[in-house]
Amino acid sequence: MDTAFLIESAIKVHIVLGFVLLVVPYIVWMERKVLGHMQDRIGPERVGPFGLLQTIADGIKLFMKEDLVPAQADKVVFIIAPGITVVTALIAATVIPWGDTVELFGRTVALHVADVNVALLFVLATTSMGVYGIVLGGWASNSKYSLLGGLRSSAQMISYELAQGISLVSVVLLAGTLSLAEIGRQQAHLWYVVPQFFGFLIYVISGVAETNRAPFDLPEAETELVAGFHTEYSSMKWAFYFLGEYANMMVVAGVAITVFLGGWQGPVLPPVVWFLVKLTAFLFFFIWLRATFPRLRYDQLMAFGWKVLLPAAILNLVVTAVVVALW
Amino acid sequence: MLIPAFLFAMFAGIAIGCSLGVIFHRNPVHCALLLVGVLLSVSGLFILLNASFLAALQVLVYAGAIMVLFLFVLMLLNLKGENPLLTRGAAKGFGILFAIVVFVELLWTVLSPQMEGGMAASPTVPTGFGSPAAIGRVLYTVWLYPFEITSILLLIAVIGAVVLAKRKFG
Repeated sequence: MDTAFLIESAIKVHIVLGFVLLVVPYIVWMERKVLGHMQDRIGPERVGPFGLLQTIADGIKLFMKEDLVPAQADKVVFIIAPGITVVTALIAATVIPWGDTVELFGRTVALHVADVNVALLFVLATTSMGVYGIVLGGWASNSKYSLLGGLRSSAQMISYELAQGISLVSVVLLAGTLSLAEIGRQQAHLWYVVPQFFGFLIYVISGVAETNRAPFDLPEAETELVAGFHTEYSSMKWAFYFLGEYANMMVVAGVAITVFLGGWQGPVLPPVVWFLVKLTAFLFFFIWLRATFPRLRYDQLMAFGWKVLLPAAILNLVVTAVVVALW
Repeated sequence: MLIPAFLFAMFAGIAIGCSLGVIFHRNPVHCALLLVGVLLSVSGLFILLNASFLAALQVLVYAGAIMVLFLFVLMLLNLKGENPLLTRGAAKGFGILFAIVVFVELLWTVLSPQMEGGMAASPTVPTGFGSPAAIGRVLYTVWLYPFEITSILLLIAVIGAVVLAKRKFG
């Protein structure tokens, strides 16, 4: 471990984490604007040009809010839980490649923080830890609604994780590697979404469920659970859950882009720009889903996950395996 | 050389501390969380041993799925500072006996001559060691029968769980 490597890694860590944290307010702004226009409203427009500073103002407001901890809450777990959600999402973001290696100052620099040879498993492992943030938050609040929200999320995330993992395995069979950078590199001529269209569909559906977003936002379901797992949270602890959700969206989108949509590859524009364009398009798609679909009922959600999505993912895997073996 | 030694000390220390916490904590949910801490630090040790695939699986399967289900049940029962279940003489005696057997077994392994040789000369890691391909090859050739027997055991467990869940009580 030479000093140059340490310095390079430190710089990359700061860039990636800074990017994820700084860009979240603008994703929230985009969500509110897009939702507004889809519902025939204008959305935020008062603070700054086009309302661009609205979420910054909201953030400052959240900093100033009183920080409440319920009297009967499990204090340590209550305080740790929102942190788990954010930290796991940020760790997962470190292995997503933004581009191929580039030459900078006479060094070959890979455009992702950590070069892990099992990067795909690494992402799945860290995001599977993210469920603890929600479950523990729900339990530690010592409130019925929060507990129900937390339990729902643990059942939901474990169920959909299976389909998600299996849909990614189908691509791994084609690519022959678990390294995200290598999978991205292989898609110069053909994106994996073409041979693995069903895998892509399954991944996106379970990805939406993993991030607890509409139409799968049952852990919070404000109409029945009063915001579910984060009912008792206020101030920056609540903001951390919010931050974690958006960081998780970026991770799910980043993996989908790298594995199915050609990663950083594309004509004319430089690689990092292509990655950001695809990321924005994918986040727009997430918001579009939220504006379009009503929330599922809980039994529908579980039945869909276990009886439709998982068998479909396994079938897709078997067919892919047979095709790869015969070819 | 210094950084791996430091990391080893850190992960090993956290693992031991969390394990003690699992035993001595009164609140079952806290115990489960400390067990997650043990699993995570052990996966850190796996990474130091060049077994990143195993480390990822450890987090994904044990910490990320099995322990979440443990927590799920503990939260539904909402046990808080319950009295320990096994305090009677026979159970305690069995526990102590089991602990002694495991301790002797570990001591025997550590003190065996094979182990001493391994520690004296730090072995070189063969290329591809611990990679998914290498593990898969060994699993499906050398250890094929144990592997298949385990999968049949798991299948039996799944069927048993379904039968129990479907049974109508009363």
